[in-house]
Amino acid sequence: MSSYLSFIDIAALAPLLILLFGALVILLMESFSEDFTKVWAVSLTLVTISLATFAAYEAPVSTNELLTPWLRFDPLSRFFTLFFLVIGFAVTLLSYSFFKTFEASHGEYFFLLLSALFGLILIGASADFLTLFLGLETLSISLYILCGYMKQWEVSHEAAIKYFLIGALAASFLIYGIALIYGAVGSTSFDGLLKGYQALSTSSNQALFYSGIALVTLGLAFKAAIVPFHQWAPDVYDGAPTPVTAFMAVGTKVGAFAAFVRIFFDALPHFDPIWNQSVTLLVYPTLIYANLVALRQTQLRRFFAYSGISHAGFLLIPLIAATPDALMAINFYLIVYAAATLGCFAVLAFLDHNKEGVMISDLSGLYQQSPFLSAVLTLCILTLAGIPPTAGFFAKFFLFKTAFQAKEYALVIAALLITVVGAFYYLRIIAIMFSQLPAKEKPPLLSWPAATVGLLSCAAIVYLSINPTPFITMIDVARR
Amino acid sequence: MTELLWLFLIPFILSLVAFALPSSNRTVVLLSLIPLALLIFNHNNWHNAIVDVVWIPALGIHFHLAVDSLSLVFLYLTAIIIPISLTAVGDISNSQSFYGLVFLLQGLLIGFFTARDLALFTVFWESMLLPLYFIINMWGKPDRQYASLKFLIYMIAGSALMVAAVLFLYVASSGTFNIDTLKQSASQSPLAIWTFAIFMLAFTVKTPLFPFHGWLPDAYYQAPVAGTILLSAILSKAGIYGIARIGLGLFPDLMIQWSPLFLTLAIIGVFYGAFAAWSQNDYKRLIAYSSFSHVNFILIGLFVWSQTAQAGAILQALNHGITIAALFLAAGWLEERLGFTSMNNIGGLAKFMPHLCWVTLLFVLSSVALPGTNSFVGELMILFGLFGQNPWLAALLGLTVVFSVVYMLRFMQKTYFEAPTFFQERWVDLNGKEMAIALVLIALIIGIGVYPTPVLNEIMTTTLAKD
Repeated sequence: MSSYLSFIDIAALAPLLILLFGALVILLMESFSEDFTKVWAVSLTLVTISLATFAAYEAPVSTNELLTPWLRFDPLSRFFTLFFLVIGFAVTLLSYSFFKTFEASHGEYFFLLLSALFGLILIGASADFLTLFLGLETLSISLYILCGYMKQWEVSHEAAIKYFLIGALAASFLIYGIALIYGAVGSTSFDGLLKGYQALSTSSNQALFYSGIALVTLGLAFKAAIVPFHQWAPDVYDGAPTPVTAFMAVGTKVGAFAAFVRIFFDALPHFDPIWNQSVTLLVYPTLIYANLVALRQTQLRRFFAYSGISHAGFLLIPLIAATPDALMAINFYLIVYAAATLGCFAVLAFLDHNKEGVMISDLSGLYQQSPFLSAVLTLCILTLAGIPPTAGFFAKFFLFKTAFQAKEYALVIAALLITVVGAFYYLRIIAIMFSQLPAKEKPPLLSWPAATVGLLSCAAIVYLSINPTPFITMIDVARR
Repeated sequence: MTELLWLFLIPFILSLVAFALPSSNRTVVLLSLIPLALLIFNHNNWHNAIVDVVWIPALGIHFHLAVDSLSLVFLYLTAIIIPISLTAVGDISNSQSFYGLVFLLQGLLIGFFTARDLALFTVFWESMLLPLYFIINMWGKPDRQYASLKFLIYMIAGSALMVAAVLFLYVASSGTFNIDTLKQSASQSPLAIWTFAIFMLAFTVKTPLFPFHGWLPDAYYQAPVAGTILLSAILSKAGIYGIARIGLGLFPDLMIQWSPLFLTLAIIGVFYGAFAAWSQNDYKRLIAYSSFSHVNFILIGLFVWSQTAQAGAILQALNHGITIAALFLAAGWLEERLGFTSMNNIGGLAKFMPHLCWVTLLFVLSSVALPGTNSFVGELMILFGLFGQNPWLAALLGLTVVFSVVYMLRFMQKTYFEAPTFFQERWVDLNGKEMAIALVLIALIIGIGVYPTPVLNEIMTTTLAKD
């Protein structure tokens, strides 16, 4: 056993190290000169993320036994790392356009954003419950602060406190669950967890293990905002600054499902059908509740909270089906969801004039004002609604196919029927956009960073709609 | 085969061009004739034209297009109707987007009428709604928002479960979406009856069969003229094509078994549409209901298990497409001159616009199936087929032909004949361009009416029932 890290090991860790270094530099800069960071923090963040992306793309596989018990260097973790970095890049651009309208200091913000990214990458690459927990907490603590970052906004105070309290509760569930699992099998490592479970002979140990898994699932369900553990999401999404909401809607969601995938596909594949059946019980309320409540929303950040809850419900379906294709289905769905949601938030960035955020009624007549913005939003909304020929349809088709192969017919039928409700509230937004009501006084802002995000999202959606095969093949590598 | 791929791709290319570059109506109409020209010039080679490449291997979806006689009839219909609908586009804002959407719709329709992979079929089936939604939503009459959303929600609700049915067939057949392969296994699967019901619901909502027509009056009425033509002439035919391709193709036994129910609904629909048309005081709504009535007539032909009736139904689908497009076009011309669609205050317009009157009258005669016009052949075949199965029903249905004469002639009577009551300073009769379009339509109407044999030969090979 080697007791030092070689160059290859460092290179394998490079994405994490670069993020950490970049974050610390920004924090240092802020403490010396606020004016300097105001100008340079965004560029530095973008450079850091780009470098980390490059490092993640080229990262070698480390086999050093100092690292492998804690971190995975498999294709799946590389996929998640790249995915998170792309999300981080987009959110940085959105934040840049946000700070053009709203006055606030930059340094801490981007430090926290990079820390949150660091946490996300840890989750995606975790090989042990402790790394997973560490990642989740790094992510969460950064987000608690980011949520209340606009100190002048009262609505943010409530959101940040609420998020912090409920997040702490979720973390305690999670850590307690991990403790119980450790108590049952004597290890927190993902390797050998399944064997450890199968070797459990006494029923008391099994009960301990099941309780542990149940608590872990619960903790993650909080993070993924799955009904009935979702109450925090609408208020927090509503109270946070718009780019932070975008980061939560996409980053946290993907992170939570990365954790689900790590635990239930990687560590404990098919460990017990009872788990799948219990999770099924979460899918129905999630889909029905989120979609029905989304019908009555008037504020778009809140609307996307419910939309996100509903998509979490859809994402649970392949998790339950657990067929060989399920992982690919989840990953593909996550990518499509991320691209479409980021595209929507890019459009919101143009319309974000005050702390109350963008109301649905603010969109009326948008087509008259800006055909470009309305085209981007239309494409992204259609994708979220899963209407063909957008990639959203294929993503859903993929989910349903895995569910069918696992003979979960009832789930598919419920999910399909609920998509009709979904189609209604998503399309209502489009209808409002194309209506010819008098235009608002305030024209959309001009913002190239948000425009870039919007265009890139649209390009990704169009490409994935027409020719998803190369991409699916690429994420399929993640399984092998 | 490359021609088929081009036929599919050309509308999409045209769509991009139309979106990107401002172009005059004349240019767009000329461009829209390209697919028709391709169809005609390559006419003899279309049979068995096939494109089959694996598209999304992870999902098992093939990009599989193929042409047979059934497809060909509907392809010709699409290629004829699209240019006609484009000529009906007047002076509108954002005409670039309008043309782009129409071409997009054409591409999706061509894909739909040739798709042989069930998943691909579903993709085209659902996506053709979007261009129409935007056409109604952006260029329709004042209540267009409501009408277009209602239309879309009806359609999405109707085919909500179609994905489940498609996946069920996929799993039951051990992993293929190929419609031709599914023929063997579709009826045998244990839940065949449910899959069949799901597909039929989707198709009958779009056609629409009675009682799924709730969306129709608003959508037809609120849409711009070109949109109404597309809805009535092509979109309803997509439903009919679906029933012929999937209903008759994959589930023939269930189709026979359930035909009494479907026949009853369709017959009610014919009568309902006729009475509703009779009581309208608005000519656009009147024609909308007449279309509903006639489409249900076509469905009767499909639901009767007889070769003559089925062939008649397919022929009538083509005929109805042409005739209803002509009627809505003529109604659009009238609306353009009057500025409204109510029949309350008008009368005797023949005095001011004789050409428009005679052209409309010819279209109306085709709609009421006068011998010598296209609809006569189709409706007669349907009635003949029905007579072989159930003479009483055929007699009952014969009555509706009388009804359609009554409401259609009422329309002619109120608007064009009677004493002139409505006065306007200057009347503009049909101009040269409109006359030319009308003549083309009249030629088609009379051509098929007098000499339907070539079309019928094509269609006869497609029917499943053998007398």
